[in-house]
Amino acid sequence: MSQLLQSELRKLTYLRANWLLLLWSGLFAALGTVAPIMILNSDENRLSGGFSGTSTPEGINAVFANAASGYLFALILGILIMTNEYRHGTAVGTFLVTPKRSTVLLAKLMAASMAGLVVQLFSFLMAITSGFIALTFFEPHAPVAAELLFKVFRAAAISGLVLGIVGVGIGALIRNQIAAVTGAVIWTLIVEGLVVAFVDSIGKYLPAGAITGLVDVDFGKNDFNFSIDNYLTPGPATLVLLGYAALFSLIAMRTTLRRDLD
Amino acid sequence: MSSAKIEFRDLSKHYKDVLAVSNFSAQVQSGRVTGFLGPNGAGKSTALRCLLGLVTPTNGSALINGGGYSQLEDPIRKVGAVLDSRGFHPGLTAKQNLKVMASATDINFSRIDEVLELVDLAGTASKRTKGFSLGMKQRLSLAIAMLGDPEILILDEPANGLDPLGIVWLREFLQKLAGEGRTILVSSHQLAEMQNTVNDVLIINKGVLVARGSIKEICQGGSLEEAFLELTFKK
Repeated sequence: MSQLLQSELRKLTYLRANWLLLLWSGLFAALGTVAPIMILNSDENRLSGGFSGTSTPEGINAVFANAASGYLFALILGILIMTNEYRHGTAVGTFLVTPKRSTVLLAKLMAASMAGLVVQLFSFLMAITSGFIALTFFEPHAPVAAELLFKVFRAAAISGLVLGIVGVGIGALIRNQIAAVTGAVIWTLIVEGLVVAFVDSIGKYLPAGAITGLVDVDFGKNDFNFSIDNYLTPGPATLVLLGYAALFSLIAMRTTLRRDLD
Repeated sequence: MSSAKIEFRDLSKHYKDVLAVSNFSAQVQSGRVTGFLGPNGAGKSTALRCLLGLVTPTNGSALINGGGYSQLEDPIRKVGAVLDSRGFHPGLTAKQNLKVMASATDINFSRIDEVLELVDLAGTASKRTKGFSLGMKQRLSLAIAMLGDPEILILDEPANGLDPLGIVWLREFLQKLAGEGRTILVSSHQLAEMQNTVNDVLIINKGVLVARGSIKEICQGGSLEEAFLELTFKK
């Protein structure tokens, strides 16, 4: 197993595209903290009495809760780990070296989980660093509590570990790489976002909703009527995410073990 | 290397309504080069994929050393396969592709340089394979197949895309491997080349075995191409 995992990690690290994806995850997450700082402190926002500015703890919460937002890239990386095998025909070689497909799948799930964690840790660091730099332009601001950073870090780490696995499951189910990645992006950025924002009774059980619950940060009263009370607490939210990991691992196993490689 | 043997026992494979292989039974003797011939869509690739455990037979079995491919211990050291000119990532260099394969098992990285030398790709080891010609891809596929120094080689159309120089190189390469006593099962459309290379022949048409025997028995004094056309298109 360690040899297979090593082989999977080599595939990941040798590919330039994966490093580019890591960079994009950092930029995306950084935008997630910098953009709200700019918006919250804009004259239009202050005058209209919208979100609190970064001079209040709620405003700081609203900014740094986004530091776990790079999970989409952990999901994409998981999808690529699986679909690259079919897109480039390397699945044949992979399964010739290791005919026990369940062992290969297990190595892929572990590699994807580790890669997802790296993506989320990197994007978290980028988001936090960029956020702190951006805040220096809007002094004075409310303090950034260590507890807030810990909560977001926890959410980033767990979501990274889980969504890499979910990505492998999606990739095993939808072997067409473009379809799988496009579907995941549309789902994560549009469909899931809308459901989580407007139908929180369902949304809190979706991955994004569970991650929101795991972040466990309240923004106070605002225009979107967001309240963390409508989401799962961190314990159940973690269980929901682990449930997704288990479900998609099972999907990956069942689809890959049964399919003919033509 | 003398005990290596491949066997198809009443192998059948259906894809929905399409019968790809039907009750196919044949043996490939150890230490010999066996040509696996048939028109396009005859079922050659399907039979080979069944043999390598990539496709599940509907009925029957395909065995290597008396067991299924998945039952082989450290299969890459027993069997090397070339199934198409893909099988490696275009974003990786030739050497990186081989490292990925070697690190999945306990093959020493020094073997990578040996196989690249063997297929005349040592000079392009550090180039990304997306820039490789079809002939170079075929050579890299052969390098991957040879990575574990296997006693059995299963090659599906290894001459596809090769220019005349490449075909000559492949003939000499296969003859060298055969000279070392390896068992080689090779499918190809290059009948003239096959006649110069193989010891035995299996001919399959529409999923059914239509002829088997030594090259002399199949050709009966004529060319392999004449025998092939007689056995496939005129029947």
